Amino acid sequence: MKRRFLFLFLSFIIIVLWLFSIVRLQLIVDKKRKKPLRELLVEELAYFPSGKFLKPVVIEYENFVADLVWLRAIQYYGHHLMTDRRYTWLGHIFNILTQLDPKFVGAYRFGGMTLAWDAREPEEAIKLLRRGMRLNPLRWEFPFDIAFIYYMILKDYERAGDYFYLAGRMPETWGISQRWAAFSYGKSENRRDFGKIIFQDLYQSTKNPEMKKIARRGLKFIKREEDIDYLQGGVDKYYQKYKKYPKNLQELLTFGFIDSIPKEPTGGFYNITIGPDGKAKVSYAYPGRR
Amino acid sequence: MKLKPVILNTFIESVRDKILIILIILGLLLMASAKIIQPLALGEESKIIKDLGLSAINLVSVLIAVFVGGRLIYKEIEKRTIYIVLAKPIRRWEFILGKFFGLLLVLFVSLLILTIGFFLVLLFTKIQADFYLLLPLLFLIFELSIITALALFFSTFVTPIGASIFTFILYFVGHLTRDLKAFAAMVKNPVITFLADLFYYLLPNLANFNIKGMVVHNVPIPLGVIIFTLIYGIIYTAGLLFLASLIFQRKDL
Repeated sequence: MKRRFLFLFLSFIIIVLWLFSIVRLQLIVDKKRKKPLRELLVEELAYFPSGKFLKPVVIEYENFVADLVWLRAIQYYGHHLMTDRRYTWLGHIFNILTQLDPKFVGAYRFGGMTLAWDAREPEEAIKLLRRGMRLNPLRWEFPFDIAFIYYMILKDYERAGDYFYLAGRMPETWGISQRWAAFSYGKSENRRDFGKIIFQDLYQSTKNPEMKKIARRGLKFIKREEDIDYLQGGVDKYYQKYKKYPKNLQELLTFGFIDSIPKEPTGGFYNITIGPDGKAKVSYAYPGRR
Repeated sequence: MKLKPVILNTFIESVRDKILIILIILGLLLMASAKIIQPLALGEESKIIKDLGLSAINLVSVLIAVFVGGRLIYKEIEKRTIYIVLAKPIRRWEFILGKFFGLLLVLFVSLLILTIGFFLVLLFTKIQADFYLLLPLLFLIFELSIITALALFFSTFVTPIGASIFTFILYFVGHLTRDLKAFAAMVKNPVITFLADLFYYLLPNLANFNIKGMVVHNVPIPLGVIIFTLIYGIIYTAGLLFLASLIFQRKDL
């Protein structure tokens, strides 16, 4: 009985030591790598030249593997959004992901939007969305998103109009796609108003919280542009009257050139800076940053 | 009906197998992990949870077919129970068929448990479940019947480990022949094209049965594809069972 107890006790100790040592060793290995795990997971994907080669390896589980890549992509995006805002592998990850699951509409759309707005690679985004369009020819979302990028970023209104028109002809499309086609073909100066509508509709149309954030951010950027235009108008009128520039925005308010100083929507503030040409320009800054 | 006792015996014996219970629990745990993934999915919860559930059911069922199926005949020979069975008025091919349907019954019950688990996960994660999701599972039964027949076929002349390995290789290759054919067409070498065609048409084309992605994305599947794929499954299985019976008939016991 005593021997049996001793045997069990020793076994228990050995198992505890074993568990402790494997956890400890893993921690050491992770520390030696000097890179966060999420970076390593993404680097792993970089070894695959494309999803085309990955697809045969994962046989009939390609959709599930695409989901795992999707979870990695989100982590990668989220991490860089919060830190350096550099998205070196984003395009590559979304290419692999959509080659594994060519019908993953959410991945094309999210990839397209993040590539265009965050990674500032609108051409890459359009390439990804065009592939989605080729493989899912009846989905209106692809020409719609391509048009959106042409309209808002590349400012190619002719092409934006073409793609909005195409989106408007697809089954189950938004009725407003046709209206935007008309906006795009006809105009350019009212870009901000239409941009606002598009961002608002993008916000309404998606369940993806990150896409909603992108839309909210877009609306804030437009609001900032509007505020700066409004304040710059006040500065110019002030100059016309007094032949000198105001020292600050409060001066514009005091002399009645503006009704109020708007709040910068991303948490910063507006101010007046004198450019190298000696002209006063309204810009924005953030507290505590130079 | 001489098959019935063999089927029931195979079923009872397989159910007692620990590997079966472990695999089912593993599948259920895998599906339950959907709850952890859900908040990370960024609006794609429905797709990811359906993919995860269907893949878990698929993987676990294939592993059951490979590992339990690979041991079926050899175990009987090793335990010498086969002599008792064959001493009774039962033909060898009836024995093979009984084993096959017994294992298929095991797979069907496992599939039923896993499917209930899957629909419970959908219920708990508040994801709309529709009957269209059952279609890939119907296809899976036919894919499993081919895999089971393959395992049984190998089990008649190699060891259980050998049978499991060969079955698993053929399962893997069976999903690759379509890609092999496509790659061979790019190479444009007649010998490679011939070999790729040979593999494509002779080996079980298991990729036919993979409709999970299409179902999750609500892509309609033509009725003709459904009917002929299922017929393909039946004919291929019948051929394998015939070959297995033929080998088993000539086996010196």
